[in-house]
Amino acid sequence: MKGRSMIATLALLALFAAGCGSSSSSSSSSSSSSASSNTTASSGGGSSSCTASLGFEGPITGPVAQLGAEQLHFAQLAIATDNAANHTNIALVQGDTQLQPAQATTVTQQFVANSKILGVVGPAGSQEVAAVGPLFGRAGIPFITGSATNSALTAGKNPTFFRVVSRDDVQGPQDAHYIISKLHPKAIMIVDDQEAYSTGLVSAMTPVFKAAGITVDHESVSQKLTDFSSLVAKVGGSTSVVVLPWQVAANAQQFGKNLAEQKKNAVIFGTDGLFSPGQFTVTGSYVSSFGPDITAIPSDASIASAAKAKYGSFGTFGPPVYAATHVLDMAIATACKSGSPSRSSVLAAVKTTNEPSTILGQPISFTSTGDLQGGKFFLFKIAKGGKYNLIPSS
Amino acid sequence: MHKFLTLLVDGLTTGALYALLALGYSMVYGVLKLLNFAHGDLYMIGAFIGYFVIQWFGGSTALSIPVPLLLVIMFGLAAASTGLLGVAIERFAYRPLRDAPRIAPLITALGVSFFLENAVLLLFGSQTKIYNTSDFISFNGGIHIGPLNIDLVRIMIIVLAIALMIGLRLLVDRTKLGKQMRAVAADREAAEMLGINVDFTIAATFFLGSALAGVAGVMSGLVFNQVYNLIGFVAGLKAFTAAVVGGIGSIAGAVLGGFIIGLAESFITGYVSPTYTNLIVFGILIAVLILRPSGLLGRVTLQKV
Repeated sequence: MKGRSMIATLALLALFAAGCGSSSSSSSSSSSSSASSNTTASSGGGSSSCTASLGFEGPITGPVAQLGAEQLHFAQLAIATDNAANHTNIALVQGDTQLQPAQATTVTQQFVANSKILGVVGPAGSQEVAAVGPLFGRAGIPFITGSATNSALTAGKNPTFFRVVSRDDVQGPQDAHYIISKLHPKAIMIVDDQEAYSTGLVSAMTPVFKAAGITVDHESVSQKLTDFSSLVAKVGGSTSVVVLPWQVAANAQQFGKNLAEQKKNAVIFGTDGLFSPGQFTVTGSYVSSFGPDITAIPSDASIASAAKAKYGSFGTFGPPVYAATHVLDMAIATACKSGSPSRSSVLAAVKTTNEPSTILGQPISFTSTGDLQGGKFFLFKIAKGGKYNLIPSS
Repeated sequence: MHKFLTLLVDGLTTGALYALLALGYSMVYGVLKLLNFAHGDLYMIGAFIGYFVIQWFGGSTALSIPVPLLLVIMFGLAAASTGLLGVAIERFAYRPLRDAPRIAPLITALGVSFFLENAVLLLFGSQTKIYNTSDFISFNGGIHIGPLNIDLVRIMIIVLAIALMIGLRLLVDRTKLGKQMRAVAADREAAEMLGINVDFTIAATFFLGSALAGVAGVMSGLVFNQVYNLIGFVAGLKAFTAAVVGGIGSIAGAVLGGFIIGLAESFITGYVSPTYTNLIVFGILIAVLILRPSGLLGRVTLQKV
């Protein structure tokens, strides 16, 4: 019996040793993983009677957990900063959606039932917004996403939905025109990952390519796929660009490895989720992103350094969530000035948001359907060593 | 022709991984009649161990030891650790339920799977870890004839996997332990009455199956590069399908099923569309089960009444 217990102990020790030995190289996002259940984050220490809660919906765990962790960190940072500045006492209630509409629906029902929650930051994915929009609409809860870009989301079905990023029907054609005019492909492969975000962008880009006389090979893969070698075998000799509007950067990295393995020279053009300097580093690739690189915006220096000091390196998914959280924080502060804040008063305040300068380097105000006024996209090219360089997008 | 050969090698690579994993499912089912749903998570842990070994020795771009030695340590440590972990899981999670109704260990297996996934999440974080194999095993190795490019890593994986399968077959067919495993699989009570140490035999079976899963995990990291706490789920599901297609409980069946699923995935993706890959793969499973419920190489169990 003793011997067998020792074997079990050894097995567990081996696992722990493996982890401990690499602690210096493991991700900085591990802190988020312990917060996968709904917990209340600390408020910023405000002492006034303006007390409320915001919900956060994001993929804190699951295959894109690194994006969710970044979003959560920036939401926490915004709450802490705004609580201190506005003397409010706003708390953040976390909800892990794992980028799954079903999970997002469960979290949303919990938020709707929690009367303290007056607004929600998120969810991250367009497919999740489509699933939870009617629930939030019925409850009159304003919710602001920092990353859902599917154009159909603001077509009228989600009356309390807002976004601080632009739409696919802006990004799709903009990216397609860039590819046509600068990369001059005769044939392209475009691969969706079977999620609403991805298929929306494919729908926006494909007609532009076809109108330009470019041969389009449209493929579709599951987000859970990790080997693209068989798909890369379909990349023909005349195909010089592969468009990957994906959410999982590690998948695009593997696609790039498979291209190199088969000595194929097609250039990868990715979107949003592929902006991940530590994960997607295929030299010569392009990434179009709804968010800017705030480390290059001088007025964001203090936020960028605070975020880096507290949470480590980050990409473009966090800053829009900071902006979304800030909009809700300010709406609650405004609602507090005229009495006790409610979901309807916060919703009314969000609708009239008019921020001339923000973390995103552009003003924030919303159209009547919840879209960002004058939203734009940013284009990066990956240089050797995995460095992302901002380049003109037209 | 080069496309066909590329897809063939891709299919053999994936199939080899599925086959190694399916062997574990099949062996455990053989001795315990248990579907060990935590098996895919041992594959995940093996992949993590391989990643950490790379980091221990300086990272993919600055290795402090020769690559062959690195590979030996990666495979050896992953096999030993996951093997021992498999033994521990059997001892603490499954053995107390050995005589319980069949549903109890099945649910426990699911619980162990979730436990391992979340333990790894807590220990190592949520961010995907990247092997960056091409940093230390160049794409220029392998076979390059005209437009045909077969990576050295894929060749190594196929050869190693086949060698392991042959080794396992020899162990089961020609050693005392193999005989004991076959005896326990045939009739546990009778084996015990004949003086076979059933607990030890079952533990050894778990060790071997789990070690193979750990090796498959390292192979997966080397060829697919990415590792995170949920990679075992899909791989485990496909391997389980392979074991069922081949005939669960049959070692040769697990290997055959693994390669059938791997090759089917590759050729469907390459010649039809990746959209239909899972549809057709699971269609194969349904067709096999309808035409041959015990799987391609499974034996029909006669039950006396």
